[in-house]
Amino acid sequence: MLSNTVRFCRALRDRGIEVTPAEVVAALRTLHLVDRCDRRETFLGLRGVLTTRVEEFPVFEELFDEFWAQLVPGEVSPVATTQESRSVRTRPVPVRSREVERKGLSFFLKNWSASAKDSEPLNLPGASNIESHSERDFSRFSSQELQEIARLARRIVRKLASRPSRRWKPTRRGQRVDLRRSIRASLRTGGELAELSYKQRKRKKTRLVVICDVSGSMDMYSRLLVQFAYAVQNSRAQVETFVFSTRVERITGHLKNKAYQRALELLGETRGWSGGTLIGPSLRAFNSGWPTLVDRRTIVILMSDGWDTGEPEELDQALTTLKRRAGRLIWLNPLLDSPGYKPTTRGMQVALPHIDVFAALNNLESLRALERHLVL
Amino acid sequence: MKEEVRKIQELLERQAYVTDAAVATSVYLAMALGKPLLIEGPAGVGKTEIAKALAAALDTRLIRLQCYEGLDATTSLYEWNYSKQLLHIKLQESSPVSAAEKEASIFSESYLLKRPLLDAITDPARSPVLLIDEVDRSDEEFEAFLLEVLSDFQVTIPEIGSISASHRPHVVLTSNRSRELSDALRRRCLYLWIDYPSFEKELQIVRSKVPGIGEALSSELTHVIHAARALNLSKVPGVAETLDWAASLVELKATHLDAEVVRATLGCFLKAQEDVRRFETEAINRLDEMLRTGS
Repeated sequence: MLSNTVRFCRALRDRGIEVTPAEVVAALRTLHLVDRCDRRETFLGLRGVLTTRVEEFPVFEELFDEFWAQLVPGEVSPVATTQESRSVRTRPVPVRSREVERKGLSFFLKNWSASAKDSEPLNLPGASNIESHSERDFSRFSSQELQEIARLARRIVRKLASRPSRRWKPTRRGQRVDLRRSIRASLRTGGELAELSYKQRKRKKTRLVVICDVSGSMDMYSRLLVQFAYAVQNSRAQVETFVFSTRVERITGHLKNKAYQRALELLGETRGWSGGTLIGPSLRAFNSGWPTLVDRRTIVILMSDGWDTGEPEELDQALTTLKRRAGRLIWLNPLLDSPGYKPTTRGMQVALPHIDVFAALNNLESLRALERHLVL
Repeated sequence: MKEEVRKIQELLERQAYVTDAAVATSVYLAMALGKPLLIEGPAGVGKTEIAKALAAALDTRLIRLQCYEGLDATTSLYEWNYSKQLLHIKLQESSPVSAAEKEASIFSESYLLKRPLLDAITDPARSPVLLIDEVDRSDEEFEAFLLEVLSDFQVTIPEIGSISASHRPHVVLTSNRSRELSDALRRRCLYLWIDYPSFEKELQIVRSKVPGIGEALSSELTHVIHAARALNLSKVPGVAETLDWAASLVELKATHLDAEVVRATLGCFLKAQEDVRRFETEAINRLDEMLRTGS
């Protein structure tokens, strides 16, 4: 049983579920605690110990079947295990788990011991499904996925916009006694400390400026981007949103405090959708049109694929100006994740030196990754 | 099924908490392995309720720490009662006690104001249930601090020294996933995901929590709630809303649902104007069908 469990944990690890040695120990202890003749109880116990988020449930379920078959050899394998884990509102299962071929998986499981070598082609998400994903028309996003986008966008904004600062500010009833101010105040009462002053950490207030490319080459991602921009705009942070193709337009008012349907209608009225791309001139227009909007406390998020039909020099200049004003410049590129893509377009080449964070934004997976890894 | 698991299930059910194997197994393992239990799931599925039922079942104290943005170590662990300490110093000034004695009395536990976390690890009698509610609302810094407390149940207070737990509390954390919790925290916990209950389970919950409700009404109402959840609303009604609605209907002495009654009591389970509108346009004319099948 010991070796079976360890191999099971290794298989989980190979499929992307991080299992630490401490968790392997906990799993073994669990197996001693539960009724090992009860498939469901063993399953539930191990799942509680070995998984850390609901997204991992499907993979765990799959591998558990194999584990159980090895643990209880005579058993006819899988009875329906959990239904509750995938009912109505469960968020979409990550691509990785959904699309692994059964054949590949069983081969993999039979060859657990050799997995270190063999696992590589199998545990990758697979180039094929990345491709299929990027080809996908985002107008067919399910409402659950839209909600997921909104949720992730809110988290990202939270990360960006609200960070505790090192500075203190005085408060009425705070967390820490401000000794300096307390003593200063005590002078009024002749050196008697009658009342205490308090202080707490300031919060850094950051403004976000989202500039979104809505030219023809971005059509495929526009749903995702609009949803993202909408969610960012309606978060609690201070946000300004712009779109551009050949000219730049401010759409903050279209998005803010509007129902999603209404926001889409208003957006439909703006011009410039699916046109050509002039990133440089658009950014220059942005710089000159809203010269005081961007300051050192502002994070600028640019969403574009970098296909620019304008002059690279102009883009370079505009970005230099923007970067000089902004605190941070984040470029989200929908193409970055596609296999074989290298940011070699002239536009991207010029832009790269100015960018603080360069990340992919083409599907939910990339948004999740952004949320997890974004460090400023 | 293991005897202990069944026992826990029984204990929880005696507290009118309708449970299932997943919950009972997790609670049992959390207690047996001495690990915190992390419960995730959509809002209003009874995550917090588990901790309450557990405390009642074990006949122990429930200590609740509600998380919010900006929550920090001082408000969750302890506060130092400066005013009392200063007054004490003032009063002592003229008394004829030696300096050493004065000093000893200046730093004592009587100026320590215990907050939930400290309260939970200093219970002299028995292990309480510590509920850390909506941990996703707190900041990352607080999460790191929490990790420290949860790993060895020992805290250090500069004024006094370190205090370690006399009885380890049973810890339950809940999260609505408004923020991704750190992997380190997740690893330390046993994980439990709770989803909206199935029709049968919800019906059972309604009947056990709202005793006065008739059979017909309870099943009709559960059908409507399930249909409403499928509608893709902005605030999906949770079990709490179902129970609110059931209680209101009982109060109104309704025995059956019809369009009029539903319209009058919509506010019990739909909490946003858009949702009400959506329900009225898309669902209410299908009410008869809904009452029967829940689709």
